[in-house]
Order: sequence, then structure tokens, then C-alpha cells
Amino acid sequence: MNKLIIYTLLALSVSACGRFGNEDKKKDHEERLVVISKQYNEIIYALGAEGNVVAVDVSSTYPPEIKELPNVGYHRALSTEAILSMKPTLILEDNNIGPEHVITQLKKLKIPMKQFGKYENTIAGTDSLMREMGRYFDKESRAEALCKKLDSDMKKALANTHSYKEKPKVLVIHFGRASNIYLVMTKKSTAGKLIKWAGGEMAVQGDRGMKQFSPEVVAKSDPDVILLTDYGYDKLGSMNGIADLPGVSTTRAFKNKNIYRVEEHDMVYLGPRTGENVLKLQELIHQDEKEK
Amino acid sequence: MKKKSSKYIGVFPLLSIVLLVIVLFSIRYGAVSITLDDMVSAIKKMTSGEQGLNLTERIFMEIRLPRAILCIFVGASLAVGGALLQALFRNPIVEPGLVGTSCGAAFGAALYFALGATFDFNVGEYTLPLAACLGAICSTALVFFLSQSKQTGKSSVVTLLLVGIAINALFLSGVGFLSYIARDPQARSIIFWNLGTLSGANWPSVIIVGASTIICLLFSLRYAKHLNALMIGEEEAQFIGVNLKSLKWKILLINVVMVAVATAFVGVISFVGLIVPHLLRILKGSDNRFLILNSAVLGGVLLCLADLLSRMLLRPAELPIGIVTSVVGVPIFIILLRKKNYFF
Repeated sequence: MNKLIIYTLLALSVSACGRFGNEDKKKDHEERLVVISKQYNEIIYALGAEGNVVAVDVSSTYPPEIKELPNVGYHRALSTEAILSMKPTLILEDNNIGPEHVITQLKKLKIPMKQFGKYENTIAGTDSLMREMGRYFDKESRAEALCKKLDSDMKKALANTHSYKEKPKVLVIHFGRASNIYLVMTKKSTAGKLIKWAGGEMAVQGDRGMKQFSPEVVAKSDPDVILLTDYGYDKLGSMNGIADLPGVSTTRAFKNKNIYRVEEHDMVYLGPRTGENVLKLQELIHQDEKEK
Repeated sequence: MKKKSSKYIGVFPLLSIVLLVIVLFSIRYGAVSITLDDMVSAIKKMTSGEQGLNLTERIFMEIRLPRAILCIFVGASLAVGGALLQALFRNPIVEPGLVGTSCGAAFGAALYFALGATFDFNVGEYTLPLAACLGAICSTALVFFLSQSKQTGKSSVVTLLLVGIAINALFLSGVGFLSYIARDPQARSIIFWNLGTLSGANWPSVIIVGASTIICLLFSLRYAKHLNALMIGEEEAQFIGVNLKSLKWKILLINVVMVAVATAFVGVISFVGLIVPHLLRILKGSDNRFLILNSAVLGGVLLCLADLLSRMLLRPAELPIGIVTSVVGVPIFIILLRKKNYFF
């Protein structure tokens, strides 16, 4: 029976850690927004409109203080009760939530849900989204400032891009590895756009945003720079850990020590900081050219 | 047999009371707390035809109550499926999934997630359960068909089990392949479906799964005596008048209907079909006349308990129930096995 108690305590302690135990500190708020979209969340915080946001989904990780809010689970595996327990007066979602029955249940219970307009995954589209959200939250001037900053950062970044003589080949590895199969971001992904704007080219093609690649393909792609998203990079811990990745140690990127850590949330959607992120990427991927 | 039967006296009423208590707890607690007053007022309003249920009352009537009832039926289906197959195969490691049912359902669901948008045939919210159910029926039928001997047209229990293992592997590969080619949201849906959830419960699903469970349970009880006879051996059972071939087909048919329908609505929930009949055998003996009925109730108890935990552990988020049934069920099962010398 002791073992049973130990197992139970173990399960309870595991469940209590991380973001799942966050307390609802906005119980007295009349307006209660549950926002299930990492892109929306970043824009809401950038607009300074986060006052009535009471809960988010687990994939919303920027800005860091968002992690203090209660979360209602993974956006593709939501539960109706989890959302309802936050007593939402409105759910904001970007049409990427599931499972289907949860959406049906929420609609049946007449819980207000809203999506902002569908815009192209471009800088102009992001500006339009930020302006629409600004109007909605009555933060139009702030939205305008964000658009201005984004546009000016992008202008600067694109001017830099024209001045670079070299176009480094960049490989973006997401999650690190699973059984030596790499989940790699392709030319079609948002990361592909960022790298193009930063004056590089993606090392791998693909008909969808992310694709699994074998170590052989990674070795053959022979990138000049490898970008590892936070989870994978932190898991490997050091350059020695990265050297153990099959297929990586033979690449030019590894030989020239051009392997860098990037935040996942900066690579998977466009937002108010995209311009800054492109400038940061330029610092990373054009380092060799600058040193010459 | 009389001596064994007497062991079961009092078990059914006791389990029924436990089930009632657990169901009440399951309805009361969760991400949203529902008080007894809410329950009573919701029922009063519904029965009197009064309009205007508040949100908590609607959560009780439209989400929590159907979920708790569906939990009972699914738990009963899986547990009775396990009891029937273990008795038929006279093998303690058998569970409903072993004859291909669960993997077939998983393949049908994966096919829906990966290629769903390209299907011309669509019956709304029932498309997924239907795809899973058809997958389960196809895989189980394939197991039956391939296990039949070309010469005699008969199938031995051992062949059936081995073919079941092979077909399971084949359909699991199919699920793996579909997950591999699927886009990220589709692949995630396949993974989550395979971990099981009762969060999609609604009254139509309760009616469908409930009808299949009750009908199949009544048929199972009818064949309990024959399964008891089979415990002493196939030849001996035939000698005392059991038509083995017919019994085998009937039990397999009952199992596939019951498990396929339940799995189709809630996804793959492992371990219940294996652990529940075992627990009862360890504690009370193998008389199928009592084992089947009590498995149904204990299956409901365990699944309701697991569902309650799945909603409470990461509150307000929810854990897939398949994780809870395994994490909580396995240690309890091992403790009981080690406590008692147990022979099938």
C-alpha cells in the first residue's frame, strides 16, 4: 500500500508543477478573456490590452509573464470544462483549436467566441491584424506605433539584406531530435520567410512548414548556419551535445561553430517583434561575412 | 460451482453503491464545481419543461451528466469485453484489443484525421465514430477470416490470438504511417485520439453506446454458463453439449460490437479490459455468471474514477484518460498480483 501512496504522491506532484497550477488572480474581473492563440496573445500584450485576459493556452509562451496566467491546455486538445471554469465572457481563437467536439459544445452553450480577420502571413497582413486588434481593444494609437516599429525594423533589415554579399544556407531544427529523426523547418514555413528576409536561404525545401528529415539529409544539406529552437538546444546543453547529433558534425555550420539557439515562438508566427527578430537573425547568420 | 458463486454474494450491491457514490463525485467535481442544488434545480427545470437553465445547470445537463453516464457504459463495455475474451481464450493476458478491435478503430480514426477532408461521405459529428467503428469491424473481421484453417474451416484459439497480434501490428503500422504523412494538427489529433477522452460525451453518444452495452451485456450473460463449461477444456465442454464453434463466433461478435462502438466514441482506452476481470477473479473467483455482471459495474467504477482524476489532476486542463487508466491502474494491479498467489 506504501507503493500506492508513493505513486499517487508522485502523480500529484508532477501535476502540480509548471504552469498547470497557476492561480486565477483576476477573479473579480467582469470582463474575462480566454485567448487561445499565441500570435493573438503576443499582440494583446504588445498593445497593453492584457488586463482582462484571464487564461491562455499552453503554447502561448511570450511574453514571459504570460506563463503566470492559468492555462486551459494545448490548443488542439482542449476541454470544454477547462475553458468554462475560467468563466469566459469571450474566447479569442485563431481557428486552430480542437478537438471539434469542444467547439461544438462551446457553440451549443452559446459561449461568445471571436476570431479576428484572416490576413496573409506577411508583414502587411500582420500590420492589418494588429490594427484590427487595436481597434477592437480601443488601442488604435498603440497599434499604429507597433505597425510603424515593425515596418521600420523590416525596412532596416531589408536594407541590410541588400548589402550582404553572401547568402548563407540556414538549417532550422525544431525540437532537437527524436530517435535521430530531425523535425526541420522548410522554405515554406514562417521561419523560411524570416531567413529569406534576413538574407539567407533555407537549407531544405519541402511541401509543408515542417518536415521530418533523416541525419543523412541533414548532412547532405551542409548548412552554413544551424539554428536550434530553445527546447532542443537546451536539452543538448552544449556544443559537445550538439556534436553527438548524427549528421551535424560533418556540416560547415558545426565546423565553423555557427550553431545558435533561437526561441521557438519567434520562428513560428509573425508578430510585432518580427522586424527585431529578423535583425537578430542577421546578426547570427551573417557573422562570418562581418568578421571577414 | 456453488462454492465459487457464494463468494460473489454481496459484491454486486456493494459495487453498485460504490458506482453511485463515484458517479456523484464525478458529477460534482471537475474544472467547474457543480453543487447538489445546481443538479436538483437543473433536473426540476428539465422535468417541468421550464426554460432558462443557467450556465452551471447547462454544464451539468449537457456535459457532466452525459459524460458520467457514458463513462459507466464505456467502462462496462471494455471490462465485459475483457472478461468474455479471457474466458473464451482461457488466457489471462487477453484484452479486447488483442483481436484487432482497438487498433482497427485507431486506424479508422487516423484515416479520418489524415484524409477526412477528402472524404465525400460525411455524416457530421458521427463521421469520426463511424470511421473508427468501421476500422474496428474490418480489422476484427480480418482476424477471424485469416485465422480459419483452409482445410477444416475451423479456427483454433491459439491461431486466432496469433493472427490478432499480427493484424494489430499491421494496423498500428498504418496508424504510424498516417501520423507520419499527416500535417501537424492532424498528427496531434491522431495522438490525442489514441490516448482516449470522454470530453466529447453528449446524449446521442450515451444512447448509442448505452444501447450497445446493455444489449451485448444481456447476450453475454446468456452465454456465461457455456463459458464456465469451457473452463474445464474445449473437448470436455463439447462433450457436455456446448457448440464450441457457434459459441466462439457469438462471443467474438458480442465483443466486437460492444468494444468497437464504445471505442468509436471515446478513443482507445487501454487496461480496463485487462485489469477489471482480473481484479474480480483475484478477489472473488472465475464464475462467469457473476464475473461478467460484476465486471460491468467495476468497469464503470474504475473508468468514472479515472475520468474524475483526469479532470482533477491538471485542473483546469484535462489529462487524456488513457494515461490515467495506465498510471493508476498498473501499480494497483501489480500490488494485488503480488499480494495473492493467483492462477487463472
